[in-house]
Amino acid sequence: MTDRFHHPSDREARSAARAKALESLLIEKGIITDRTVDTVLKVFETKMGPFNGAKIVARAWADPAFKRRLVEDTPAAIAEMAGMNDLPAGMAGAEGEHMRAVANGEGVHNLVICTLCSCYPWPVLGLPPYWYKDPTFRSRAAREPRAVLKEFGLDVPETVEVRIWDSSAQIRWFVVPERPAGTDGMSETELAALVTPEAMMGVAVSKAG
Amino acid sequence: MLTRFEQSAVTSMMGAGDHPPRANGTLCFASDWERAAFGVALALARDGHFEWDEFREKLIAAIGDWERAPDGSSWSYYEQWLTALEATVVQCGLATPEELSARLALAAD
Repeated sequence: MTDRFHHPSDREARSAARAKALESLLIEKGIITDRTVDTVLKVFETKMGPFNGAKIVARAWADPAFKRRLVEDTPAAIAEMAGMNDLPAGMAGAEGEHMRAVANGEGVHNLVICTLCSCYPWPVLGLPPYWYKDPTFRSRAAREPRAVLKEFGLDVPETVEVRIWDSSAQIRWFVVPERPAGTDGMSETELAALVTPEAMMGVAVSKAG
Repeated sequence: MLTRFEQSAVTSMMGAGDHPPRANGTLCFASDWERAAFGVALALARDGHFEWDEFREKLIAAIGDWERAPDGSSWSYYEQWLTALEATVVQCGLATPEELSARLALAAD
């Protein structure tokens, strides 16, 4: 099982065969089924991930009243969308209770960090990028957010206040970025495609197209 | 707080040396076998066949072996994952090395 294959395509074929052998053997023994892999991956690919956050932000862009409700009572607004089957069930459950949205705009840019732990609103943002848990990023973002944002390519004007939100086990923050110009008449689905996890962390802004 | 096993398992790797490749908040799989290897490992740990940390220890060891290997083979995260998964499956008695080899030989025909 440990042969080294030097030709890349041989190695790839060998790995594919090993994975297939392992999976089929476990299926034959009744330890897993032929649907197990898809069931596990469904959690990551369709139930919990940045596509949920993007849908929430797109709804907020399309409906200012929803945006107000989202910022005032995030779990209730998320429950509202789940109730209309626009978000998977469970989003508004125990995990959703801890989520709080903050909106960019009107002279404010929000940045989410976590100085204590790896608290991250996974159901709406997906998996954190490698730098999120980096102690240097966390401490520098808290101390000199404008300089850190500039390194991300985001120049926040001096007239705009930068607010830092420190996620914790109690509250997990996410940012509602500003709706980009030039998106009038777009559907919520089209708008959702413009929302990135970075924008919902506040290290980027959303752009049209 | 209600936490899914899948979430806590993957989150536990974030910031550690064995974190899986990801982009834009999602996992990155270069091929179906990588996806299958990932899904099988999570399902077996979720169902209690072994502790997630037991698998992670083997994964970290496999990554360490690759780093020390002198043969210059290019890096593949999920190759190390597969090696760790085979070792864990054998260690917890779900399959023997002979069964895995036989199955692999069968697939090669």
